[in-house]
Amino acid sequence: MTVVQPGLELTTGTNGHATNGHAKRPLGVFTRPQSTTGWKSWLFTVDHKRIGIMYGAAALVFFLVGGVEALLIRIQLARPDGKLLSGETYNQIYTMHGVTMIFLAAMPLAAAFANYLIPLQIGARDVAFPRLNALSFWTFLAGGLFLNSSWIFGGGADGGWFNYAPNSGLPFSPGHGIDFYALGLQITGFASLMGAINLVVTVINMRSPGMTMFRMPVFTWMMLVTQMLLVFAMPVISIALFLLTFDRLFDANFFNTAAGADPLLWQHLFWIFGHPEVYILVLPAFGIVSEIIPVFARKPIFGYHFMVFSGIAIGFVGWGVWAHHMFVSGIGPVAVTAFSMSTMIIAIPTGVKILNWLATLWGGKLRFTTPMLYATAVVAMFTIGGLSGVTHAMVAADTQQTDTYYIVAHFHYVIFGGIILGLFGGMFFWWPKAFGFKLSERGGKITFWTMITGMNLTFGPMHILGLEGMSRRIDTYSKGFGFEFWNMVVSIGAFIIATSVLTFLVNVVVSTAKYKKAKANGTYVNPGPDPWDARSLEWMIPSPTPAHNFDEDIEVHGLDEFWHRKYGYDENHRVVRIATAEQVAQKGDAKNVHLPSPSYWPIVIAVGLPIIGYGLIYNLWLCVLGGLLTGGGIFGFALEPPDDPDARGHHDDHDDHGGGELVTAPTSEIEEVAHG
Amino acid sequence: MNKPRAGWRRLSMSLGAGIVLVLTLSGCAGDDGELNTLEPKGTYARSIDRLFTPVGIIALVVLALVFGAVLYMWFRFRVDEHVEGDWPVQNHGNTKLEITWTIIPLVILVIISVPSLATLQKLNREVKQEDMTVVVVGQQWWWEFRYYLGDNAKSYDPKVDKLDGKKPDVVTAGQLVIPTGKDVRLVVTSRDVIHSFWIPKLNGKRDAVPGRFQPWKIEADNPGVYFGQCTEFCGLSHSRMRMQAVALTPADFTKWVSDQEAPYIPAAASDQAWLAQQKDVAAKKPLTSAKLPDPEITLADGSKTAAGIVTFRNICTRCHLLRGVNEDIYTAADQVSGAAPELTHFSSRTTFAGGIFRLYNADGTWNRTALEAWLRNPPAEKDAYAEGKRGMPNLGLSADQIEGLVEFLMTTGQVPNKDVTIPATEVE
Repeated sequence: MTVVQPGLELTTGTNGHATNGHAKRPLGVFTRPQSTTGWKSWLFTVDHKRIGIMYGAAALVFFLVGGVEALLIRIQLARPDGKLLSGETYNQIYTMHGVTMIFLAAMPLAAAFANYLIPLQIGARDVAFPRLNALSFWTFLAGGLFLNSSWIFGGGADGGWFNYAPNSGLPFSPGHGIDFYALGLQITGFASLMGAINLVVTVINMRSPGMTMFRMPVFTWMMLVTQMLLVFAMPVISIALFLLTFDRLFDANFFNTAAGADPLLWQHLFWIFGHPEVYILVLPAFGIVSEIIPVFARKPIFGYHFMVFSGIAIGFVGWGVWAHHMFVSGIGPVAVTAFSMSTMIIAIPTGVKILNWLATLWGGKLRFTTPMLYATAVVAMFTIGGLSGVTHAMVAADTQQTDTYYIVAHFHYVIFGGIILGLFGGMFFWWPKAFGFKLSERGGKITFWTMITGMNLTFGPMHILGLEGMSRRIDTYSKGFGFEFWNMVVSIGAFIIATSVLTFLVNVVVSTAKYKKAKANGTYVNPGPDPWDARSLEWMIPSPTPAHNFDEDIEVHGLDEFWHRKYGYDENHRVVRIATAEQVAQKGDAKNVHLPSPSYWPIVIAVGLPIIGYGLIYNLWLCVLGGLLTGGGIFGFALEPPDDPDARGHHDDHDDHGGGELVTAPTSEIEEVAHG
Repeated sequence: MNKPRAGWRRLSMSLGAGIVLVLTLSGCAGDDGELNTLEPKGTYARSIDRLFTPVGIIALVVLALVFGAVLYMWFRFRVDEHVEGDWPVQNHGNTKLEITWTIIPLVILVIISVPSLATLQKLNREVKQEDMTVVVVGQQWWWEFRYYLGDNAKSYDPKVDKLDGKKPDVVTAGQLVIPTGKDVRLVVTSRDVIHSFWIPKLNGKRDAVPGRFQPWKIEADNPGVYFGQCTEFCGLSHSRMRMQAVALTPADFTKWVSDQEAPYIPAAASDQAWLAQQKDVAAKKPLTSAKLPDPEITLADGSKTAAGIVTFRNICTRCHLLRGVNEDIYTAADQVSGAAPELTHFSSRTTFAGGIFRLYNADGTWNRTALEAWLRNPPAEKDAYAEGKRGMPNLGLSADQIEGLVEFLMTTGQVPNKDVTIPATEVE
């Protein structure tokens, strides 16, 4: 991958050919955007860090939207015969709650971490295809906004996030909600697929010299597995959604049982995507926890290889368990048995992870900062979700549990207890790296304790409600079934979670204001490159991360490279400091580093997609407009010049491969060439 | 961080909350809910419970170990600050340990999979087709139960007969009446979207999938009413799609069957003659389901029951069948699913409209108000898409018509045994 250019000065661009490049610059709009500050610098950026931050911000906004939907559900169900929402509205709200939380909050929040951290953890300048990365983000945002715009155009989807056929067909859902669902998820699916391909290529090709696969941090590994899952899972849902769209718009009858379609086809397609999706959501959180615990336990991750391989095993076995969502649908007993066994088997690598985290904690010097509290809570809370999962794997027991609140409890312990807690921990952990200041620890702890109280009050009693026979997806229940008390507790818990999220937002606002004030009056103290005494490469560069990431490539000799540069062992195998973080860390002062140029086109391509969507629903002529935007955007994207003062005429080298090549040629190899 | 005490207090508080939660969880079995899965009342539900309880206990033990480990480490290894030079032993892993804790869960899972698969086998073993098969049909948003009895049960083949082949002996809606102590063979299907049939105290659930006829079974030890709820999301009124299994002693059940098999016959001889005459008139003017019966049919003697029959034959017949009253003019329900509840022996049931309204008060008297409200404006009582032919529309019935219908419907069947008649749990 690396192009060795003997004698090439690494960190500074040579501008001998700059004029040459300018002379060839084509007309007007094909010139690349230049801003490095202001809103244009965000709109047209291809910088993986800014894209990561935008992913995070957008995901948090959608998280709030999904949260408000959850609160509406809980007000409705707090008492029997709730009257806040009509049945029709309730079905839309609960559907959009699920869709929003999974596709627009949890997945993009994980994508935020992946985008921001993977290049930093592997010591790269950027992702492999920076413009594609920008396109992924804008496509995701376009899809998310499109999906939520259904509220303005007559109501959201009302078939549940799982959207089973034939209830999703026109006779049973004549509104446009499910069209928005199908097309919106299709668009966000493009985004996930592009992002996944990009990150897989990045991890495989752009690691720093010496960083073999088994020297990668566990987070990067888990993200790699996640992206591989996405590469294979997204096409399945894409096809299912295409078929559904064709059914609803053009009477294709793929899922119309009245016309002879197989009533379970959709379920299979959906869950072949849908179950890997669970691991797509949870593995990033596992990665985050695996980064946080060693730092605050002052111990290396216990059983690194087992951690990695259990993640890979989850990724593989995750493909063979989908029908456990369909145990009562009437698939044959042999199939049921097989899926029951595979579901139990997947508990083993998950258990290995839990035990390895416990072993990492064991005997450590546990410093319970906010990130550490979250990481430890994931270990405990995810275990609850995992164990209730084992009780569903007992098929006979599942015939009582499935489609009751027991399942709702189970997957909220997995998704909230595993994923959301993990992602919040990650935000507190990497915040100083991204923004140059820590969030308030005191505020963080308030958020943590309210969140953990709220989530257990919310999702704990759901186990009881489910076993007492409360069905899922019901907009109301009656007195006399014994559901009153625990539903009230659950609703109170939901508002406690809402409070905790509010305290987080307050923390962000207040900490940011303090940081700005300190900067203005000169009392700002940078947290330094390594505020937590951490272990991986992203902490070896200043905070916030400089635009060019690394001044020069880092030669990696092992796992936890940064830690090993700070610490060594004495003759008694005790840890001794050999250097401070500041001594080891890069200064971030490299000048004239070649960076991929910003681009207008990703956002243009993305804007066209929802217009095509509206066109398919309302008026096919709109598709022409959207198609022109997207198609034209693709041409612009393809024909855009490198437009870089350092271009040197190597057109093929300067665009999407920008960061990886010429200027980041590894020191060692160049030295070798020079010496040789 | 600089106030460790606060953290301890919080911890002990959350610990206390956790203990309370666990205690209530273990005590929740005492709660006498109508749908409680932890209170099995039949063979199969009991098998499931006997599987779930030990597995649940194992899960709780594992959970306690993990929580115990986390809490122990919180107390044992917690430091407020990382002090320069204060490093624990750097342990990178231990292969033996890893293999051990891979194998132990594997062994546990293999062990619990034995009873799990055995129970699964038990649930999946089909009831031999003897003297009774009930085809359970879900549609938006009510359940139909089609009984094949005696020789009909033997010869009914769901793959061939489906829903339009061999005629069932008895058809009811909302309530599945079964004899106690008998494995009742069920065949579960649907007329529109996917539903799920579930009587938690008697067995787990089985999806009702359109076009498929899936075997299932049910057994109740004692007479009583066992509640159920559709558990696969099926659209607007999913939460108002309920059902009950009514278990009768074998003797009572036999009597119930013979009652149900008989068509409706008006009590008064004059009414009988009048009804025969009406049928005769209708026979001379063949009707289609799309066309209303001849409006010339009028009240014969001014009795309310007869008035109800007139309304039924004029209006209700568009969707409902009541054997003995309109089988001559009824063709199919003007609904997406092609079906509406059959109302033969309507008053022998205790609930109506998808099992959500009670037909009798707790003291055994007729619950007129609920039925009148329903007839006046069904969409106001239960969400439905009547305009899309999914659910009963507002027919604009006059007060007289409603009164006549109620009087008539009251006479359609044997009033159910009050001891078994448990008030239905209503939605609104």
